[in-house]
Amino acid sequence: MRREISALGVTASCDAADLWAASRDCSAAALLWTKARAVPHPPDVVAWPEDVEQVAAIVRFAAQRQVPVVPAGGGTGTSGGAVAVRGGIVLDTKRLTRPLHVDLANRVAEVGAGVIGKRLEETLAQQGATLGHCPVSLPSATVGGWLATRSAGMLSARYGCIADMVLSFEAVDGAGEILRTLDGPSGGPDLSPLLLGSEGTLAIFTSARLRIWPRPPQRWVRGIRFPSLADGLRGMRDVLRAGLRPAIAHLHDPLDTLLAGAGPLRVPQPLKWLVDGAQAEALRLSLRAPLLLNRLADALPSAALLVLGFEGTSEDDGAREGDVALGICDAARGEDQGVVAGERSLASADRVRWMKAPLFAAGAFVETLDFATTWDRAEALCVAVRRAVEDLAFVRARFAHATPQGCAIEIALLGLGGAAAAAIARGSPEDAEADLEEAQKRRDTVVTAALSAVTDEGGTISHHSGVGAERQLFLRRELGEGVRQLRALKKAFDPHGILNPGKLLL
Amino acid sequence: MTLRDDLSATGATLVEDGEGGLRVTPPSIASLGRAVAVVRAHKVLLRVRGSGDAPVNAPASGVLLDLGSLDRIASIDAASGIARVEAGCGIAALESAVRRAGCTLGPLLPSVRAGSVGAWLAGPTRGLRGVPGARRETAALTVAAVLADGRIAEGRAAPAKAVGPDLDHLALGGAGRLAIIAAASIRLFPATPALASAWSCPDLASAVSALALVCQNRLAPARARILAGADGAQLAMVWEGLESAGIDRDRAAHLLRASCSFLPDVPGNWVRDSADGHPVEVDARWPSLRAWSPHGDVHLFGLHAGGAFAMLALPEARPADESAALARAAGTRVIAPRRLRDAGPGWESAGAAAPWQRLLEALGVEA
Repeated sequence: MRREISALGVTASCDAADLWAASRDCSAAALLWTKARAVPHPPDVVAWPEDVEQVAAIVRFAAQRQVPVVPAGGGTGTSGGAVAVRGGIVLDTKRLTRPLHVDLANRVAEVGAGVIGKRLEETLAQQGATLGHCPVSLPSATVGGWLATRSAGMLSARYGCIADMVLSFEAVDGAGEILRTLDGPSGGPDLSPLLLGSEGTLAIFTSARLRIWPRPPQRWVRGIRFPSLADGLRGMRDVLRAGLRPAIAHLHDPLDTLLAGAGPLRVPQPLKWLVDGAQAEALRLSLRAPLLLNRLADALPSAALLVLGFEGTSEDDGAREGDVALGICDAARGEDQGVVAGERSLASADRVRWMKAPLFAAGAFVETLDFATTWDRAEALCVAVRRAVEDLAFVRARFAHATPQGCAIEIALLGLGGAAAAAIARGSPEDAEADLEEAQKRRDTVVTAALSAVTDEGGTISHHSGVGAERQLFLRRELGEGVRQLRALKKAFDPHGILNPGKLLL
Repeated sequence: MTLRDDLSATGATLVEDGEGGLRVTPPSIASLGRAVAVVRAHKVLLRVRGSGDAPVNAPASGVLLDLGSLDRIASIDAASGIARVEAGCGIAALESAVRRAGCTLGPLLPSVRAGSVGAWLAGPTRGLRGVPGARRETAALTVAAVLADGRIAEGRAAPAKAVGPDLDHLALGGAGRLAIIAAASIRLFPATPALASAWSCPDLASAVSALALVCQNRLAPARARILAGADGAQLAMVWEGLESAGIDRDRAAHLLRASCSFLPDVPGNWVRDSADGHPVEVDARWPSLRAWSPHGDVHLFGLHAGGAFAMLALPEARPADESAALARAAGTRVIAPRRLRDAGPGWESAGAAAPWQRLLEALGVEA
């Protein structure tokens, strides 16, 4: 197959290292594979097309051979969406980097699907512009990956999700036909939202025209402490309902608030082990009693920290909106903690939330899930998930991506993943396999409990990370009869059933 | 069993309509589902209308589904800004109800205000509105849609989600062809006093450019109007956010000072005046609105960084057909009045004619 793909003029490889790299993403499952040195889903070949015609040629070739084609971007997914669960061709989009064109006058950037987010943002910054899309995966995620998963970034309260930024796109469907949507008004059902978020199961994105904005020269940031999560949620909701559009609106649960250094106490030692993974033995010991840890966290002072940030213009620094927001928060019993509390929380967010590698190496697993719901259900949904998993994993939560109608809840679940990486490396392959099996079982139990609670409470199972292979068992409960519409779309856009099979129930 | 017999069994009211057609009025969403399944099984033509929508007759030997009885407002949650409503509910009735709860649907095109929720969402605007930040978003958080076999699909009401394709868009803007909207969760804004600002610009095209600049800097007003003046053009804008209106208005003023002159004495409701003559409603981008501007008045709704919905009228009450022709020549898409509506470029313009045909077949609806 590699030779045949090469004959199409496309670079391709069957080297073990390439197949290994293309066999995983950043999901907890994949990180457990990495620790166990396992490669459960190697593709048959990896291909690097450089333009839309080459993508179309590969898809037509795959259709002819009835071989799966799995598009992959930066490998930052957390749902297994780009894992070739049925083998076939991994179509790596990172060489789809046609020259970036920025039209500042009309606020449009034309960009290839393989462009890395950080590179795009740096290029725009040089011209005084921004896309306003800053997911945690910005340093290595691709534009095509964002489109395929309907990504949302940390500034979504102001700029919206990636779907709000797309004017038009170019893509290749499962028949190998090139689709090019229009910027302007069109008739009938809108094609774009039916393909955005389809996770490579309906089409492969090759480029997009995106709305860009003037880069804000200044930013106003504050940390605001509320006596309870309920008060914090009310404050955040009322800021959004007042028509204000903060660039940052993150509400941390009491533990996160402590970790951000904004609570009245220092973090108790057992909980610190959970954060940094520095003490592997102590960490694994702690995680044998997650209920105890969760009860310990429950006993902490209930303060919740809201971090608010507004973007200013060249004439004002956002303080006017900020002052109005502080007034609204004050009415919800929020107390201004100043600039430092806000900035410190932002600086620590990445460190405390996404330090996955040391935790996995120490023998834990970290599963990050993102749900969404309306304001009236937000707290109840969070409580329900906590209750569902409290005896299985340690739970931390953050509310973000606020809109006037609701928000997302980002949950980090920390559980016992088995032996430490060093011990695995010293042991036999059989031991590693057994350890992996046990860890996967524990992780599956936790994720199943959390997603069951989400669907029972009426929340959506993914706000911005997609469904992939990991969450699809709950998609039927989420969509109900909509699964029939989903399958109709699959027949329409992928008549040969070759695009990313085994995802989204397709 | 005949079509009539089968439809009677759904619990819907039946009336002869048009040329051998039937007008079918289901009393409930469940009845609507059963009626749709019957119509699809008999493979007859189907049209849909809500209460207050433009008159539509049943197609010859076909069925007109009248959603006028599905007009219940199930709930209004002012704190979360969500109303749960059936598709046949009139927009005017819904606006009255949500106003009593301190909310509003926001400024809408006159043709939208005159129709039903279902017609708004399934119609040419797809329920899109301008939201603060110069974006457009559909008013529906989620819709309940009746599929061809009568089953009802409904997603979770969430502010955003990443659970595959946004299936609501099979119904939104689809005129009931792929799925019929039976109910929806509608996003509401807090009702607040409007803040207006008016400016004098050198000419009509520069007034459009000034407004585009405001929108491209994320300061889009809720509505705006551009009018030819004695020596140039007048631009009036209204902002409606509870706490954001004053901030956005002042920031817009700072942007406009370089190109326009502030008009302190223009009454605030000037922007709300009805359009004179026989206006047409269009979906337009800024270059198209600039191209139209020499011809006459422009009222704008749903403004965003790329353009707006607009009501365009020629002076001296010239006929709407004439306005529509000029609007099309400028590159806009006419969406009202209904008789002049442009279908707009469909999926074939994106190279997706084949997927469209396959989709019709897979969903079990007529080509």
